[in-house]
Amino acid sequence: MFLYVLKRLLQSVVTILLVVTIVFLLLRLLPTDYYFTEDELMKLTEQQKHDRLQAAGFLDHPLTQLVRFYKQLFTEFDLGTSRRIQANQPVISVIGSKFEVSMRLGLISLGISLVLGVCFGVLQARYKDGIFDHLGTAYTVFVNAVPSLVTYSLVLAFGARVLGLPSMYSMRKPELSSILPVVCLSIGSIAGYMLWTRRYMVDELNKDYIRLAKLKGMSTRSVMYRHVLKNAFVPLAQYLPYSILLTVGGSLLVERFFSVPGMGPLLTDAIARYDTTVVQGVVMLYATLGILGVFLGDVLMTLIDPRIHLGKKGGTR
Amino acid sequence: MKKVLALVLTLAMLLSLAFVSTASAAEITDLRTYETTAREMETWNIHSSQLANDLNVLCNLIDGLLTNDAHGALVGNAAKEWYTEDGGKTWTFVLNDGMKWVDKDGNEKADVVAEDWVTGLEWVLNFSKNGASNTSMPIEMIVGAADYYEYTKYLAETYQRIVDDGVTVPDELRKYIDPSCFDTTVFKEMVGIATPDEKTIVYTCTDELSYFPSVATYNCLYPLSAKLIEEVGVEGYQGITWENLWYSGPYTVTSYVHQNEKILTANPNYWNADNIKRFNTVTIKMVESQDVAYNLFQTGELDHVTLTQSTLSTIYASESHEFHNNLSEARPTKYSYQIHLVYDKNNEDGTKDTNWNTAIANEAFRLSWYYGLDLTPYLARTNAINPLACQNFVYTGNAVSVNGSGVDYTQMVRDELGLQYSNETYARVDAEKAAAYKAQAMEELTAKGVTFPVEIDYYIQGNSQTAKDSADTLAQVFSDCLGDDYVKLNILTYVSSPTNEVRIPQLASIYINGWGADFADPINFLGQETYGEDNAYYSMNYSMINNATDEDLIATYTEFTQMVNDAKAITDDQDARYAAFAKAEAYFLNHALAIPCNYEVAWELTCINPYSKVYSAYGIQAYRYVNWETNDAIYTTDEVAALAEAYNSAE
Repeated sequence: MFLYVLKRLLQSVVTILLVVTIVFLLLRLLPTDYYFTEDELMKLTEQQKHDRLQAAGFLDHPLTQLVRFYKQLFTEFDLGTSRRIQANQPVISVIGSKFEVSMRLGLISLGISLVLGVCFGVLQARYKDGIFDHLGTAYTVFVNAVPSLVTYSLVLAFGARVLGLPSMYSMRKPELSSILPVVCLSIGSIAGYMLWTRRYMVDELNKDYIRLAKLKGMSTRSVMYRHVLKNAFVPLAQYLPYSILLTVGGSLLVERFFSVPGMGPLLTDAIARYDTTVVQGVVMLYATLGILGVFLGDVLMTLIDPRIHLGKKGGTR
Repeated sequence: MKKVLALVLTLAMLLSLAFVSTASAAEITDLRTYETTAREMETWNIHSSQLANDLNVLCNLIDGLLTNDAHGALVGNAAKEWYTEDGGKTWTFVLNDGMKWVDKDGNEKADVVAEDWVTGLEWVLNFSKNGASNTSMPIEMIVGAADYYEYTKYLAETYQRIVDDGVTVPDELRKYIDPSCFDTTVFKEMVGIATPDEKTIVYTCTDELSYFPSVATYNCLYPLSAKLIEEVGVEGYQGITWENLWYSGPYTVTSYVHQNEKILTANPNYWNADNIKRFNTVTIKMVESQDVAYNLFQTGELDHVTLTQSTLSTIYASESHEFHNNLSEARPTKYSYQIHLVYDKNNEDGTKDTNWNTAIANEAFRLSWYYGLDLTPYLARTNAINPLACQNFVYTGNAVSVNGSGVDYTQMVRDELGLQYSNETYARVDAEKAAAYKAQAMEELTAKGVTFPVEIDYYIQGNSQTAKDSADTLAQVFSDCLGDDYVKLNILTYVSSPTNEVRIPQLASIYINGWGADFADPINFLGQETYGEDNAYYSMNYSMINNATDEDLIATYTEFTQMVNDAKAITDDQDARYAAFAKAEAYFLNHALAIPCNYEVAWELTCINPYSKVYSAYGIQAYRYVNWETNDAIYTTDEVAALAEAYNSAE
């Protein structure tokens, strides 16, 4: 197990560095005209543009820039400064200021989704083809069929006009103003957890060992919770650490819609504004979280299901 | 008894009326406004910013020398008086007493002194400190500014080479060769700025510039305390935040959450607090779109909202709509939109589009557009209720310059053209002339081998439905007004950058662009269209007139350029200068070298009297939250109309 963990960690570091290097070099392949805003392209002379690029180090060879980037990263843990998102601010502080908000809302939403989604999923499986199942299926279909922005608009209209909740997130009143964003974040995830819990549980219910347990006289409740749910939860658990870590990433749509100052829109904003240092920082963060999430998911599976042995052939599920 | 009862009831009614009247007339003390998230601030450094997103906030935090009033006139701000004694070659600004730099909490940090304007201009012109941001106007207008910029740039490059070679430069030497360490000693020797005393600043211009005071509203001439640089360092000021910025304006920032909201609070130590009206706080909320802003307005979380076309149509169409009687027309923005014609267009394969280039060089062809295009349906895309409010028959923006008799420069141009705005018809259209010019153009151009219909390539952003709808309307206008046998508008798309994807490869036949002034002189507009001059932005980058080969066209442009330069040379008589510019502009338009298109006039729901706001046709002062008149109830359409009438009669 220890060797497996060590090997995976080393692989993870190499993968992250590879991702960051590729993104770094790809960004340098873009024409430098994208460095400027349309307004700057209109008003700056060619000499002024050259001066700006020179001052920003963009005229150096990409590999020289890459070496400089890694030197700064490894010696000073410095990801550089933002060029446009928050001009001349360290990228770490730009990300840091948004990290906490997204994670807080994301974790609350994940907790709600997990509890409600799994509970409703269990009910759907338990009463398959009954009223719970039909209602749950209708909800899942609705959430997946209706575009998210329409759903959010409905939530906003009902929450703000009928219940009088704040329409946009406020750092000064985070409790009350978090309600609508959390509801919107949860709506889709609840449907997801319901769908997969139901599916895995129905799969388990059709297996021979469940039939045997029932024939041996075990109560339905006992079968459901001691065997079916436990086994059905293993594949869900694999993605749990990943989901938890990715709450840091926020949600582009929800955060935009409710003006949540989180991580969601940061990457797209940074790409749109050609803020290369922020793009590199965010990509590095997402790559790290993604790889770490998958790794922790594998470890968690082994803890939940002792039959699974990492590092041994045929041991993985 | 009945009399007593009647008296009591009357009194009660009067009291309640008085109460209602008082309540509805109450002013807002804490303003709640908004910006869309795409327009979030990027920097708190006013000297490096060139974005309206930043400057709309920053102009409230630091006082420049001059500002504008609600009618657009220049008024004192940090400077209480300004004058020239030599026809505009040197300009003297005298500062007010008692101005202080404060921190975000209003704690006093230093006095505002004349030297702060020297430090500010040094920062702008020092390549090591500010790159090339905001250098254009000072370099062009202030003696020695260009030399100082080049000097610091040369030193910066040299110093960088020394450092790259691994040489460690001792601090006592570094302050002489690294421009990022410079104080203002060398700067004052090289550049035309002087401070005879703590309250006086004297600028020496490169020429006699009557409009130089209008540049004093712009951020390139904003102050910077040397003590702030001492406190935070050069790098610290480059990346200054709202928390360590020093403030001298009517507001400080007391809360800022990126992409969420910022709160401006009345500066408790503001020198001019007794003479201007301010809000206690201004909360600027960042919203995803105008539709979300409308939602916030409906729930009472905003004090104004600009309406999208669809929302406006919904409210306007329904008399029972809660806001139907509150629709009000906003004031025009400072941008003057033109249909810019391209005289050197390429095909997608890089070859010349000879058909187009030959056609557009023909004056009769251009004039058939000028007299034939009734743009009313296109204007309705901006203003569906009152499209003619957006009509524009001149090149220069409204209210940029006013002559000694108080006549707006654009009125002088319209007088030259013999063309006035009408509330009923699009007055520029003359169907007979258009038909005659069309027939003439077809005859002349057919002889030159041009095939009809002439294809007009018009580019819009690919993912914008609004742009597509407007372009469809424009195509219909061309079809209806000029005929499908004559021209055909092709709507083409770019992905993200019109400059890189369309302008640089010269793929478009026309552009519709808005230009806003940076200072108060027609040269700011007409100087963009001259022939053979490197700093003529539209000629160099859009019309590409310098590549044209048609002799008649070049002769027309040369004549126009001469007229502009003759007007520019008049520096001792402002009225004569404006009259000469008006003639040049009329010549430009009579030859249809570009075709005036529209102004932007939107509709809004508001609790703010739009006619009490600062009106600035140039520069950065338009968003100062001072002297605003507000109402805690939404203004009705009639009330705004009355405010407009009162405003116009006071002009």
